[in-house]
Amino acid sequence: MLRLVLGRLASFVPTLFVASVVLFLAVNVVPGSAARSALGIQATPQALKRFEHQHGLDRPLAVQYVEWAGKALQGDFGTSFQNAVAVGPEVRKRIPVTLQLAGMAFLVAIAIAVPLGLIAGFRHQTGTDGVLTTLATLFGSTPNFWFATLLIYFFSLRLGWLPTGGYTPYLEDPVANLQGMLLPCIALGVVSSGLLIRIMRTAVIEVTFSNFIETARSKGVSNVRLVTAHVVRNALIPFFTVSAVEFGFLVGSVVIIEEVFRIPGIGSLVLVGIINRDYPVLLAAAMSITVIVLVVNLIVDLAAQLIDPRQVQVAR
Amino acid sequence: MTILRRVNWRRYGLVVATLPAVLLVFLASAFAPVISPYDPYALDVLVMLEGPSAGHLLGTDELGRDILSRVIQASRTSIVVGLVAVLIGASGGTLIGMLAAWFGGAVDAVLMRFMDIVFCFPAILLAVILMANLGTSVLNAMLAIGIIFIPGFARLTRAVAQTVQRQPFLEAAICLGVPGRRIVTREILPNVIGPVLVEAAVAFSYAVLLESALSFLGLGAQPPEPSWGNMINTGRGFIDQAPWISLAPGAALFLTVFSFNLLGDGLRDVLDPKLRG
Repeated sequence: MLRLVLGRLASFVPTLFVASVVLFLAVNVVPGSAARSALGIQATPQALKRFEHQHGLDRPLAVQYVEWAGKALQGDFGTSFQNAVAVGPEVRKRIPVTLQLAGMAFLVAIAIAVPLGLIAGFRHQTGTDGVLTTLATLFGSTPNFWFATLLIYFFSLRLGWLPTGGYTPYLEDPVANLQGMLLPCIALGVVSSGLLIRIMRTAVIEVTFSNFIETARSKGVSNVRLVTAHVVRNALIPFFTVSAVEFGFLVGSVVIIEEVFRIPGIGSLVLVGIINRDYPVLLAAAMSITVIVLVVNLIVDLAAQLIDPRQVQVAR
Repeated sequence: MTILRRVNWRRYGLVVATLPAVLLVFLASAFAPVISPYDPYALDVLVMLEGPSAGHLLGTDELGRDILSRVIQASRTSIVVGLVAVLIGASGGTLIGMLAAWFGGAVDAVLMRFMDIVFCFPAILLAVILMANLGTSVLNAMLAIGIIFIPGFARLTRAVAQTVQRQPFLEAAICLGVPGRRIVTREILPNVIGPVLVEAAVAFSYAVLLESALSFLGLGAQPPEPSWGNMINTGRGFIDQAPWISLAPGAALFLTVFSFNLLGDGLRDVLDPKLRG
């Protein structure tokens, strides 16, 4: 078991390394644009040179990467080009906000997907299954930013039940915090549940046709017990492993939803970094989102194997 | 009517049902200038923010432009971005996947490991970052979205190609001394095309969605060029007085994505009935 955990951790390091290189390259594809957008269109060539020299942007990319990665590992993400404020503390302040949003949205998605997926799986190849599968495609096809706009229109503007956006820290006012999180979580969760319903359905169908269910049935296990103790429990494991991938998509969608609801998380920091061409901010924000996705995948992978050693081969 | 009865509806039903919607989207974008009731760029200060009426079926926006005409015009952006992005993703991914499967060993390991890592990035995050650097334009949106699709197609193609390579007829071809290039293009490629087509339909709908998301964030099509994404974003500012500005392009986007997703499901039924779970 220890070997397995260590093995996973060992393969996590190179993944993180390559991911950070890809991200660093993606951010630095076009050289010189950072200085220009920081100083404005009228900046003289000398001023641009000085800015680039000052921030070390005139050095080879490899050198820049090593310096950035070395400092990032110590939690130092440099200072913003715009206002010379340290990026690290800003990111650390925003991570819990995004984690709360993504986590609660994922719970909404699971709360929708598990029951609907179970019913579709049990009613395999019937009208109910057809309706639920189409519903899953319908949910998955919804543009989350449009859905969010409609939610704001109905629940905030027409009915006045919930705020149109903004964020209150949980420790300050739990009720206001949850009220503000409700619509963003629904917008993210319903769309994500589309794929999750299908995953749950497939998992249930696979388990239903396996031999041990046949055995249990022939032993005379009651239908209720068969479903709760055998089918559901065994279907949930592959469901959670695969759903980790969907969690990645969900965390990415945070970039849009935080913008729509004016939530000060990492997603909105990515946009701030892009609009200002503020590379230290953009890199730090994008890297934290990537690390969140990778860590969640790692945890789910390990948890699935701890719960069910048969999963070793299944993990993607 | 006997023809209708002879059709295997279980197999073809979904494709037949979604085809009209898919055709509608393509025809609307192909004949946009002909069927648009107004010039999508024409301002008319006399009818600003007017609700749906006989004159303007879907109402007008904050500059008095006809929303129906703009929704139709915007479908062109979505369709072109979708097609080009899928073309980039499918051709790049198919090439990489087939190379990985054919050469195996280190080539396979390096290529696929890299694909896995690109795949684990949230797509929208990668798209947003690429757009910021390539510059905001429709052309770059196609490129950015296309690049994002490559790993998915590569994985799929590799899996299918590996299955084909294990088949006896391929061993026979190798034994007969058929040259490798001929085996890849004549034996493996035809088998790969089916699954790639199914994936392409789904990828198309996702490309349309991603393009709208980019335009919504101001990183894709730039105003006054209409795009479903930037129309929805503009409408947010007037949502209280004129909800139709966001509602109409969003509904068009939603229905397009939905019908292409269903088409993907339908193509799966047609090409591989065994796969329907």
